[in-house]
Amino acid sequence: MSKSFKALGLAVGALALTHLPAAAQTKVTNEGISATEIVIGTHQDLSGPIKVWGVPVSNGMKMAVEEINAAGGIHGRKIKLILEDSGYDPKRAVLASQKMIERDKIFAMVGPMGSPTVLASQDVLFDAGVLQLFPLTAAEFTFKFDPAKPQERLKFNNLLPYVESTRAAVKYMIETKNFKKPCILHQDDEYGKNVLDGFTQQVAAMKLTPASVTSYKRGVSDFSAQVAKMKADGCDMVLLGTVIRETIGAMGEAKKLGWDVTFLGATPTNVLEVPALGKETVEGLYAASGFEIPYEDTAKGKVKDWLANYKKMFGTDANTQAIIGYNTVTTFAHYANKAGKDLTGQKMLDALESGDKFQDIFNSPPTVFSKTNHLATTVTQVQQVKNGRWVLVKEGLMF
Amino acid sequence: MRFMFKTDYEDDIKLFPHGGYIVTYGILLAFLAVAPFVLSSYLVSQMVFVFIYATVGVGLMILTGFTGQASLGHAAFLAIGAYTAAYLQQYNVPFPVYFLVAGVLTGVVGAMVGFPALRLQGIYLVIATISFAFIIEEILARWESVTHGNEGMRVKALQFLGTTVSRDSPSFYFLCLAVLALTIVGTLNLLRSPTGRAFVAIRDSETAARSMGVNVSLYKVKSFAISAAITGFAGVLFAHKLSFISPEMFTLQLSIEFIIVILIGGAFSPHGAVLGAIFIVMIDPFLTYLKDDVPGMIAAVAAAFGAGAEMAAKIQSNVAAFASANGLKGAIYGVIIVLFVLFEPLGLYGRWLKIKLFFQLFPLYKRATFKRQKIYVKSERNR
Repeated sequence: MSKSFKALGLAVGALALTHLPAAAQTKVTNEGISATEIVIGTHQDLSGPIKVWGVPVSNGMKMAVEEINAAGGIHGRKIKLILEDSGYDPKRAVLASQKMIERDKIFAMVGPMGSPTVLASQDVLFDAGVLQLFPLTAAEFTFKFDPAKPQERLKFNNLLPYVESTRAAVKYMIETKNFKKPCILHQDDEYGKNVLDGFTQQVAAMKLTPASVTSYKRGVSDFSAQVAKMKADGCDMVLLGTVIRETIGAMGEAKKLGWDVTFLGATPTNVLEVPALGKETVEGLYAASGFEIPYEDTAKGKVKDWLANYKKMFGTDANTQAIIGYNTVTTFAHYANKAGKDLTGQKMLDALESGDKFQDIFNSPPTVFSKTNHLATTVTQVQQVKNGRWVLVKEGLMF
Repeated sequence: MRFMFKTDYEDDIKLFPHGGYIVTYGILLAFLAVAPFVLSSYLVSQMVFVFIYATVGVGLMILTGFTGQASLGHAAFLAIGAYTAAYLQQYNVPFPVYFLVAGVLTGVVGAMVGFPALRLQGIYLVIATISFAFIIEEILARWESVTHGNEGMRVKALQFLGTTVSRDSPSFYFLCLAVLALTIVGTLNLLRSPTGRAFVAIRDSETAARSMGVNVSLYKVKSFAISAAITGFAGVLFAHKLSFISPEMFTLQLSIEFIIVILIGGAFSPHGAVLGAIFIVMIDPFLTYLKDDVPGMIAAVAAAFGAGAEMAAKIQSNVAAFASANGLKGAIYGVIIVLFVLFEPLGLYGRWLKIKLFFQLFPLYKRATFKRQKIYVKSERNR
């Protein structure tokens, strides 16, 4: 090979290399960081259809902020949390996000609530270079990103996704109990669709066919038709893509028909309200979950103190939702701490992508992100209601 | 006071009855033209939502305010417009084409709803339109090959003449403004045409209209179609503004919001639709502003009146706690609507006209001027 040809090759190579990284530069804002404060924002549904989530989540977040600030903040900077109500209305979520970026100058959006609300407002955040951290929706778009679009690198999620957790739990149940005719009852919305997808994928992967697929509209309280159909179809396991009331309603209907079948709930059924309200109706219910639900009388150490503090602060018992809200802020604080004393947007992004492990006080699977993976975990547990309490059956499940 | 002598039919149907209109609307237009360049994008975004809501409001007003046919199904028309745009956009159909297709398709659906609605009156018509909205919501959730079901659809930024019009850009603002302005001018034109007069005649008394030779069925269907088409156009803009649409966004709640737009604004003039839209979009940011800033102001006032620093801080935290109470917004909203229905059925625009007339006629203003003169035909009394 001639010398000049080699030189040309080198020159072309160098040119190509200098152009590659430039295309993938992510713009991250440095707003909201002052000598004494870090301003973070969130929008929750405090008055709309999912306020049973929004209110305890925001309580958990407030509590985390107070604790972190009382302990001296993050490298001396106190966290200031801006909370806006979206009412589960995408229009209000967009406006709230713009308001927080322009008036409050937030550094990051932490734990915003709901799929349509988060999706409608996320481009507003990315355009301003604001990180979208740990939104309360397990939908794919909150962590899957296109490497060709640098601003999409700003999204991270630490919630267990419905599809993956459902697959893991269904796999475990079918393998251990040898079910032949799995069925599903799911809510007719985006959440229910995710559970259904997880179910169909896993059932197909295990070379079974669903014996029955039934659904219901959000808000209905009568499940007699669906349960009767599943019974007639001879189901031996029913996956519930339900929330609280529907879980209890569907299981109550089965009891009424004298139908003895195994129920497995998706992650949203794994909350304290289900055994508390369902009592003996939901006895024996299995559920996919991310972490063990602490009880005041059996909790130990930090968790026990946490439960007591929460009750003192808000006058109600803590629930799963509050824990998830609390974790969004503590996870943020962990990585902001790691980013160092002279915190910038870029350093925060590097810290999040560094692969550093975060372990919460509730013994959840550890949170780890990388440059290519912005979803914290897919490790699932299966729990069961025994004597009115959630009890761990098996942990560390994957599909 | 200004006296207007109408000597000609042309005088009676003028869009600008006198020069004052041109001056005030000129000032308004000048303000709107510079607004996106001087205001923050938060405010501009609110104005874009106002334009979209006002467009829907004008559409609904043609049906409800002028033809007297109530509808709680306009969220569904908005959804049809939005989904048509999102669907056609996937196949790289240019914006002007899918914008028009969305409007026309929604208009056709509107006409189809109008036919069965011919036999229905009052509350029964409302029920029929609600069920129509439910059917559309169900179709959106089920027809997965087209609508992606409950997963929803992402809507890409608008492409026009080879450039990308981002939803927060001044160009998008002007597009929405233009659609609203054209809708309003078109509606005003419609209302001074035989079609518009037929609409109003049907609203005031169907029997009287029929006896005057108005083809009631035809005009009702027309009214439904026009109203739906306008809402469909607004739906395209709505989809682009939110960049994501899913069936759970087009619920009864949204239809109620649209009714509130014309109820609060005043259902008898396009001014009302704009004022109502301003109310419904901006009340929320306004209450947020109250929550953020008013506690501090009250504390400052208290301090000025001699309250100690500790007392002022206490007042501030108490007011802040009250202002950020969950559900306060809903309560304020509800109270305002109840007050309007009880005391100002003509809405914000009606109130403005009354205030204006009060000063023009001072001190001879009579409240009865605005009393609606409507004598019912016996058979219409119980509808």
